[in-house]
Amino acid sequence: MGKMMFIDLTRCTACRGCQVACKQWKSLPGEATRNTGTHQNPPDLSFNTLKLVRFSEPKVDGKLHWLFFPDACRHCLEPPCMGQANLDDEGAVIQDEATGAVIFTDKIANADAEAVRTACPYDIPRPEKDGKMSSKCDFCIDRISNGMKPSCVHVCPTGCMNFGTEEEMRALAKTRLEEVKKHYPQATLGNDDVRVMYLFAVDPKNYSYNAVAEAAPTGPMTRREVFASLAGKPKA
Amino acid sequence: MPVSRRTFLKFTAGAVSCSAFTGLGISLAPAMAQAEILKFQKTTITTTVCCYCAVGCGLLVHTADEGKGRSVNVEGDPDHPVNEGALCAKGAAMRQMAENKARPPKPMYRAAGAKEWKEVEWDWAYAEIAKRVKAERDASFTLKNSKGETVNRTETMVSLGSAALDNEECWSYQAIQRALGLVHIEHQARI
Repeated sequence: MGKMMFIDLTRCTACRGCQVACKQWKSLPGEATRNTGTHQNPPDLSFNTLKLVRFSEPKVDGKLHWLFFPDACRHCLEPPCMGQANLDDEGAVIQDEATGAVIFTDKIANADAEAVRTACPYDIPRPEKDGKMSSKCDFCIDRISNGMKPSCVHVCPTGCMNFGTEEEMRALAKTRLEEVKKHYPQATLGNDDVRVMYLFAVDPKNYSYNAVAEAAPTGPMTRREVFASLAGKPKA
Repeated sequence: MPVSRRTFLKFTAGAVSCSAFTGLGISLAPAMAQAEILKFQKTTITTTVCCYCAVGCGLLVHTADEGKGRSVNVEGDPDHPVNEGALCAKGAAMRQMAENKARPPKPMYRAAGAKEWKEVEWDWAYAEIAKRVKAERDASFTLKNSKGETVNRTETMVSLGSAALDNEECWSYQAIQRALGLVHIEHQARI
């Protein structure tokens, strides 16, 4: 069965406790950034930022929404990154049997970092700046294999982030969807072939380009091109 | 007997070294298996209260039993009635209050008119503060106001802070201020 996370976005206030708790638990260094006109900071996931709260301000049915999206690895039931990376080195990415966590090992250095990132339907893995490693969220495997919640779930003050068995989380997701539908008729659950399930108040594509696997824009730009343009956004 | 979460942690800490090597389906490289061992093995847990805001969230501080005995982790206390383990972004970064290379390890002093800060000793700083407070208090102390009423106060000094003090510490602090004759005393005394 394994473990699962349920992220109820109708309860997220973007306090970014999860983002800081992740850095704190893993003792990852901060990044020098500058104001880009949004609270989304750092502007993107990186080798040292495994969890990021994304901010967006879309207009839905003529009304402005301020949406928050805690973004990190979804821990796919069948991870494409594992298939890709293990072509280069068997054991570069492993899946924990007990929890289902998808984990990059030291051998990830032998895999093609760019190919691993492209293989991810959610654009999560990030390469090391001056090295061969790639990194992403490891589901706090050290904590969860000792009966604790992942750092980001433990810290969440609003009940947005939840953690438990697959059965519990799927049941909770179903219950919450029914409840929030009363206030948000467009509410919907994200992909269910992953171990991090989201509940969106409005159409997921309003939250982030990588909110759901199908969120790739259908315009002339590919998902990767869109991302490249975002990352290279001129400084405000 | 119900096992509290903290007791549970103590229980599991002993089991870590075994489970760390058996938890995964395939054998891991030693470096990876090492990473799976909880960082607060061989630590002492102390409870404290967050100093940042009026909510007063409970925290657990894990201090290393070996080495320099510094804190290795700070996280929300699941048994605390206020926050039940949760924290905001500032509270979650609490460990950096103590473990932070960007913070000056000693008091810094900039003399009047000087452009540069310089590092000074705590003893010197305490003595200097005491000396200046006494000098100012003696110079400005008023026994009677314009109507001839006894006031015994000094109005040229104010006290502001500190948010990191709890209720009892605040009592002692304001008692000292009032003994000196201060009347402008303010504090974020909400925790």
